[in-house]
Amino acid sequence: MANKMFDLTGKHAVVTGANGPLGRSLAVALAEAGATVSVTTLRKTQQEEVEANSILNECWSAGSQKGKAVAVDLTDEAGVEAAFAGLESSVGPIDIVVNAGHAANIKPLLESSLADWNNEISRNATTVFVSTLAAGKRMVPRKKGRIINIVSDIHDRGVPNCAIFGASQGAVLGFTKNLAIEWGVGEPLVEDRLTVNAIQLGFMEDVPGPHQDPVLGEIMQKYIPLRRLGSSKDVQGAVVYLASDRSNYINAETITVDGSIVNHA
Amino acid sequence: MGILDQFDVTGQCVVITGAGTGLGKQMALHLAESGADIVGVGRRAEPIEALGEEIRAKGRRYLGIPGCDVTDSAQVNEMAAKATKEMGHVTGLINSAGLGGTGRGKTFPELTDEDWHSGIDSNLTSAFYSARALVPHFLEHGGGTIINITSGWGFRAGRDNFMYAVGKGGVIQLARVLAMTYARENIRAVCIAPGLFPHTEDQGVLAGLGQKQPAGRIGFPREIGPLAVFLVSPAASYMSGETVLIDGGAIAAGLTPAGVIPRAEG
Repeated sequence: MANKMFDLTGKHAVVTGANGPLGRSLAVALAEAGATVSVTTLRKTQQEEVEANSILNECWSAGSQKGKAVAVDLTDEAGVEAAFAGLESSVGPIDIVVNAGHAANIKPLLESSLADWNNEISRNATTVFVSTLAAGKRMVPRKKGRIINIVSDIHDRGVPNCAIFGASQGAVLGFTKNLAIEWGVGEPLVEDRLTVNAIQLGFMEDVPGPHQDPVLGEIMQKYIPLRRLGSSKDVQGAVVYLASDRSNYINAETITVDGSIVNHA
Repeated sequence: MGILDQFDVTGQCVVITGAGTGLGKQMALHLAESGADIVGVGRRAEPIEALGEEIRAKGRRYLGIPGCDVTDSAQVNEMAAKATKEMGHVTGLINSAGLGGTGRGKTFPELTDEDWHSGIDSNLTSAFYSARALVPHFLEHGGGTIINITSGWGFRAGRDNFMYAVGKGGVIQLARVLAMTYARENIRAVCIAPGLFPHTEDQGVLAGLGQKQPAGRIGFPREIGPLAVFLVSPAASYMSGETVLIDGGAIAAGLTPAGVIPRAEG
């Protein structure tokens, strides 16, 4: 039976960088929980726009049919500001932002260039800054809202060929923690808060990462304590919990959903 | 099945130590509201019986086990045997019992063996006894979930705060090792680390304490329940060994006094 404790009916959730199975899974979960869901692309490409529209269709099937899909480059400050303004005027105030863009270019550092560094930091970290800035302009005056950033276990655990990706994930976590303290303060007897949190993923079969290497992927399945690669579906519970009004006192936190792998010796 | 169905805990039965008051009681009430039957364990009879009335009013089964000293392994084993026998099937354990212990105000060399054991036994040994008593039942019945209640003191040091900090750090490691040991047997073990959740209704006191927190407020005890529901439910099935902080950012902050907002150009 549906547990209404975590119902998101009446809320407008925006999933940014909602391309790929992870963005789809999180957007659909929020819609199933009752939210009106809008989605944005990571880059302004036709392929991503088609995918964002497909994800939106699935969200509409799951519940509210008010959300919109927006094709935008998440590193374009003016474009993202316009996208958020447009979503607020056409759909309604944004209550929840999930920054789901997540991509990893796994290769030796000696084969990497400054362009690779800039690209990895740009698509994984700059995108989070730009979308969070646009979200905060709206949420901070309301003293209420949710910003949820998706990161990887690969920032406190080292994996060969992941130095630049790991740096981008660490950047998002440092941003999350500090911003949460800047924005998370409010009145002493009021429960509502604007919170900024992260969900840290392990190795999900449908999310890009080093486990896509065929040798490592097979080893991982045995090494992960819960004995299986995760899936983007495993992240749905944490995102709905954090998005709900029941998580007001959780702030600056990183919830790890990884089959217990960072717990492994 | 939609995502909200995954937060349903109907058919589960959760043993909660320290269930009569405070955070333990709130977890019991929210779990019952979400479908779970409850075994309430505590020292005093009155709050354990009063909790039973509230749980039964929600249409759930309830077994109260008052008078149980969780620092006594024989009593804990008896409690677990009674819980599994009378409820038939236990699926979860929340180790919420814990005390500040004796020895406050003493310097480190002045602490006695008794002071050490009072803090370590109530906060850490009790969780070990309860988990040890119920794990065989979980193994026989296809798994279970263990939640240890830790604290910010499980991560950070306070001057002269020895037993509580060591005990709370210990329950984090206990959960991690349980998570590793029984991951293949479908037993998950996690921790909740609450921030400041004072036991007072005095609004003036709450406001005063709140202003010293990074969130500008203390935690309201009712906020802990939904987190326990999430962690016990299938919605958290890929999480184990993890500690979730619910502290309004207190552990993440901690460097600057609340309300101090630095500016500097570099």
